Parts: sequence; C-alpha cells; structure tokens
Amino acid sequence: MRALRAPEAVERGRKLFNSACSGCHGLHGEGGRGPKLSDGELVRGAKDEKLFSSIKNGVPGAGMPPFPLPDEQIRELLGFIRSLSAPAADVSVPGDPAAGRALFAGQAGCIRCHRIRGEGGFLGPDLTNIGAARTLLQIRNALVKPELRGDGEYRGVRVVLKTGRVIEGVMRNATNYAFEVQDNNGELHPLAAQEIEKIEYRRDPLMPSDYASKLSAAEIDHLIAFLSRQTARPRPNPDQEQTTAQ
Amino acid sequence: MKVIILGLLLSAAATAQVTYEDIRQGPGENWLTYGGDYASHRHSRLAQINTSNVRNLVAKWTYHVAGANRLESTPLVYKGVMYVTNANQVDAVDARSGRRIWTYKDDAAQRQSVNRGVALLGNSVFFVTGDCHLVALDRRTGGVLWDRQYASIHDGYYATMAPLALRDRVIVGVGGGDGGMRGFVAAFSASTGEELWRFWTIPAKGEPGSETWGDFQLQYGGGATWMSGSFDPDLNVVYWATGNPWPDLFGKARKGDNLYTCSMLALDAGTGTLKWYFQFTPHDTHDWDAQSIPVLLDLPFEGSMRRLLAHANRNGYFYILDRVTGEFLKGTPFIKQLTWAKGLDAKGRPIELPDTEPTPAGRWVCPSLRGASNWMSPAFNPHTGLLYIPVLEQCDVYTASETVPPPMKDMMGGGGEPLPTQPGKFYLRAIHPQSGETRWEYPMTGPATMWAGAVSTEGGVIFFGDDDGQLVALDARSGRHLWHYSIGQTLTASPMTYSLDGRQYVSIAAGADVFTFGLFEPAAPSPLVPATTLD
Repeated sequence: MRALRAPEAVERGRKLFNSACSGCHGLHGEGGRGPKLSDGELVRGAKDEKLFSSIKNGVPGAGMPPFPLPDEQIRELLGFIRSLSAPAADVSVPGDPAAGRALFAGQAGCIRCHRIRGEGGFLGPDLTNIGAARTLLQIRNALVKPELRGDGEYRGVRVVLKTGRVIEGVMRNATNYAFEVQDNNGELHPLAAQEIEKIEYRRDPLMPSDYASKLSAAEIDHLIAFLSRQTARPRPNPDQEQTTAQ
Repeated sequence: MKVIILGLLLSAAATAQVTYEDIRQGPGENWLTYGGDYASHRHSRLAQINTSNVRNLVAKWTYHVAGANRLESTPLVYKGVMYVTNANQVDAVDARSGRRIWTYKDDAAQRQSVNRGVALLGNSVFFVTGDCHLVALDRRTGGVLWDRQYASIHDGYYATMAPLALRDRVIVGVGGGDGGMRGFVAAFSASTGEELWRFWTIPAKGEPGSETWGDFQLQYGGGATWMSGSFDPDLNVVYWATGNPWPDLFGKARKGDNLYTCSMLALDAGTGTLKWYFQFTPHDTHDWDAQSIPVLLDLPFEGSMRRLLAHANRNGYFYILDRVTGEFLKGTPFIKQLTWAKGLDAKGRPIELPDTEPTPAGRWVCPSLRGASNWMSPAFNPHTGLLYIPVLEQCDVYTASETVPPPMKDMMGGGGEPLPTQPGKFYLRAIHPQSGETRWEYPMTGPATMWAGAVSTEGGVIFFGDDDGQLVALDARSGRHLWHYSIGQTLTASPMTYSLDGRQYVSIAAGADVFTFGLFEPAAPSPLVPATTLD
C-alpha cells in the first residue's frame, strides 16, 4: 500500500487532506490538535504501510480516528503527506517558476539580500540549493510566517571598532571572544572582542515581515515555485514524473 | 533600508579577490593553493616562528568537523578565513579563532570519498565531490556558483584531489585506477564551469601509445590522476602525475609498457596538448602510482641553471627531469632496500631484476605497495637547497590473482602485505636534489600508517606530521628536533602555515579536527563587548 506520487494523485490527496485531515493536522500539515506531519520522524521515519494503517484503522488511544476510505484515496493522501516532508524540489507545485523569478528579482526585492548562483546580495542566506535543502512548507513559512523564524546567522548589525571604523552587515557568528561579520558587500570580517568598541544589533529582522499582505496568494505561489526549483545539482522535474509508485 | 544605503557608501573600498598573481607569489600571510605555490615547494616566507622560538609554540585553537573521521585536507587561508574540506563538504573558518563561518555540504553526492582540499581564485572556492562534480562556491557565503559533473561513478570514477586553479581555469583529475577506468586530466573555465580541454591518460584504440597495451580493454586501463598537479607559469605547462595501470598487480593481461600510466605528464595549460611524458615504471605490477606531487626547482645542475622537476616515486627512485624537455637527468634510490631493479639506464628506464612480478603464491619485494613515498607532500627549502620527503622503508609480499578481476569493483588483481616480522618504518629524509643524497634523516616511531607531509618556513623550521600522531618541528639545516605536539590522532594530511595580524600560525588537519598553533603570548583579557539592540 504505497504512496501515489504522481502530481495529479498528490493534488487529489491535497484536496482530500484539506477536507478530512486539516482540521487536526493543519492545512499544510503543520500540526494542531493532531501532530505535525510536515517534517520530523513521525512521517519520515515511518514506512508507507504503517502510515496507511494509521489512516485506515486509526491510532487507538491517540485520538486518531479510523478513516475507512477506498485504498486508492488513502494512497493519494499518503502521496500528499509524503510531499510535505520531501525536499521542495521533488514536489509538484501550483505556481509559475518564471513569474516567481521575476518577483524574486523585481517587485518582491529578494535579490537585494539573497544570492542565487552568484547573483544577489549578502545579508540573507544563499538560496542556490534551497529547493533541495528545504520542504515546501519551510519555504512558505519563511516567506509568510515571520513569527516562526529567527535571524539565526543573519542578524543585522553595526559594529564600531576601536579604530573608529564601522562595519555594517550581518553577524554570522558571535561568541564572547570572536565575531564574524559579513558586511553589506559580502566581505567577511573575522574580529576579536578586544578590537571592538561596541556592537549594535537591529531590533527587527532584515527579512521583511509583510510578504503575506504585500504579495497576492498567487504571487506567493509563484515565488515558492521558483524557489523550490533552485537546486545546486539538476533533479528530475516532479511535474513531469509519470511513475505512480515509488 | 538604512543598512543597505550605508553599505553602498562603504563599498568604495574595492572588494579584494584572490588573483592569479597572488597565487604566484607563494605562501606568506595567505596560503592559496594546495602545494603552497605553483611549484609545490610548500615553503612559506613567514619567519616569525624560527629555530630559536619554535619551542614556545602552543595550541591556539581546534576546529572540529562534525562527522569527519579522516580529514586529508591541506587548509587554504585567504584574508583570515580558512577553507578546509571533508567528504563532499567545505567549511569556512575564522583563521584566528577557529570559529565556523559557513559550511557547504553536498547531500546529493553519490559517493563519500576523502577530500584533500580546495582551490581559490577570484571570489570562488573550488572543490570536487566524491562523485566527480567540480563545484564553485562563493568564498564569502558558501553559496553555489556552478556545479559541473565531469565524470560518472557508473564509469568507475571518483574524485579526491584539490583542484589546481590558474589564470582563468581550474584543472582536475580523477580517481578509480584501482578498479579500472580511463584516466584523464581536464580543465574548466573558472567563471562558468565550461570544459576547456581533456587529456586522456590512456590512449584510445589506434592512438599513439595504444600499442603498449596488447589487446587489453583500454577503457579500464587506469592511469588515474588523483592528486593535484604543479604549474610553470613561464612555460605555461601543467605537470600532472598518473597512477597505476589496471589490474594493478595482474600484468599478464596488459602486455607492454601501458602508456601513460605511472608517468609524469607535461600538458600545455592552454590546450591540454601533451608536451612530453616520462614513464617512471613501465608495465607496473606493484601499484606504484607516480602520485607524489611534482616539485619544480630552478637550480644549477652539472654546471648550468636548469628548470628541473623533482619527483620521489613510489618505486623507490628519486628522479630529476628537465621540465622543459622531459629529459631524464638523474635517478637515485631514496630507500635503503630496493629489490626490484638493479638501476636505471641512461634514459631512466628501470633495469628490472627477474622474479619480482607478483604471483598467486606471493613474492617479497621492496619497496612496499604503499611505496617509498606516496601522496604525502614533500617540502623544499631554498636556503638549505634540500627537499624534505616522508619516506617509508617497507617491503611487502605481493600476490597476484589468477585471472583478470571484474572491472569497477575496486579489485586490484592482487595485493601486498608486509611480513609480520618486518613492519615498515617512516623517516623524514632531507634529500639534496641534484645529487639525490640523503643529507640527514629523522626516524619516526609508529605503526607505519600515516599519510602526513611537510611544510618548510623562512624561519628555518620544517614542520611535518609523524607516524605517531605528533606534529613535529625540526631544524631545516640539521634535522635537530625542536618541538613536538601530540595531536592524538593518525595524521592523514600535510601541515601549512599562515599569518594574521602579524602572528604566524601553523595548522594541520587530522582525523576529525583542524589544529592550529602559534607562539605563546600571555592571555589578553577579553572584556565583554557592549552590545545593544537598536530600533
């Protein structure tokens, strides 16, 4: 009882998931009353057969009721659930990558801080391999759920050295003794505590928090489609995948 | 975006890049190519650490590469940032503090292989993955600029070497010669990854050299190119060593000299055209790859200045060639026990002794299968005029299979092991290149399992990794012991040296960590830096 992975099957699975499962597991499998399905061991560590059984027969004592659906539909559901934790590049997506590329370099302004294949700014993570490194939901959340993300290695900073020199950029790494600053032009500055007069962090993340309102739902889908197709190595295009079972 | 606007004002200071001229300068503050400079001297002009004060050397920091168990990388350093590799991974590290700046890990790679380091040019960091992708990363972010597959694991290839970057191109080779494949050296555009040329180390059927193979299947001939090469900018020639023919120890199937295996190749850097070749071990049956990195020397030789190439071969001979013409000038044993040849003829061809080919029952031959020296890097000091070479005195019982093994299964058609009563022993030997004489040697203790090379410094100190997991400092002139430090791990990489803020450091990668040393200074208090958060 394997997951069905063809794009149409996954899409039917998504619709079924929305009506039957999202109430407890969230629209994107992010979890709620039921556990998170979008990453972690629960799905990644389980074989298709076990997940199939959990849906068909429920999980007694865990609040998961049985869903006695036709086998084919459960396999479509599984296809969708698997797509939630798969690298974004391996999953069929609704948006238009070309329109997403235009947004990335234009209206959405992503390219000012993010690089892809050597083009773009330095204040945010390089996104050349983002489609292989992240799931669709992780990419979506990074765009539209600012409350879920921290600055991590990209906290905006202004460092004043004892010489009077000022370096502005992001703090890639900081301890009490050593600091690595990446300036706005990308140059790395390894610094020792002794040579620093003061450090001023920006309160707000450099990543804009208003994409959910600034861009339409379709535009966000386009951006996600573009980002999900960014991989350092070429991968098979999931939209052209014809196999129905893995 | 206040931050960005201010950033544009600051950008007046032009962004520095690693230039070809920087690499030509050789190692000082930076260490920009695997062999230190294009001649692979591994000699640094840094002199702060010298024979008088090296006894004050102390550990400065340790960088742990999570998940690593055998680092073989020579770290490169540019402007205070160190680049060190593990299998399918590059880490950029603050060279003063040992703190990680970024990591690039290629999880899609189809093979885990050891890795010996990166090349730098412009704003790019080049490295090879185990499955033969040449990858260019932005040195500042670790982001991929381009990724080019240049050979396939399905054809028996893998890759471990540090690429060689020069002018506008990056040159790489391949591993896989112990399983049967067809070796090559290839050059790629540094900016786009486009292939510029490829030289096959095994000729195709009908090409010159193919007659040296009998009727063997040439696509499995071997001739791997698994180490970095050297480069003469004036001649515009790349010198690249080639590995063994396949099956390594079963020679009956491949009658002839088996060109261009176990050879030194001189290739035009612009076109990949073969200028000359010199085969050290024709029809090798002992796995004696010519993989020791070629050291390019400009020295007086028999009365006139010559452009020389020095090579300490696995077969036990130390060679001096004219690197303009490929002419053999001199060959001298650099081990005490060499039993397979009685000497070299006027052209440098070995005069082989009978009954030294491996057999199913086994034959005892010196040197060992690992060779008199292997890929561990030698170093050259221009002031002493000596080459410092890790040397293994070991003999093996060589066995051969009865038939040709299946290709691409890592089957060598036999093997070699020392007699239990005759374990190998490592030495660091200071060899005078023109005469081939050993001027001094430093014996090592240990299990004869190390793979560490040496580095020479203007301070007159030779650093090398020994066979007992110690980083050791010797006086370059006398071989006198000056300092040592127990790394506590088998050493599988060569040390290097760099400087930052006027302080000289010495680094070596070991099993899972990079260790860095500098002269003792009383600790400077490090007051907490005032940090505020602004709206």
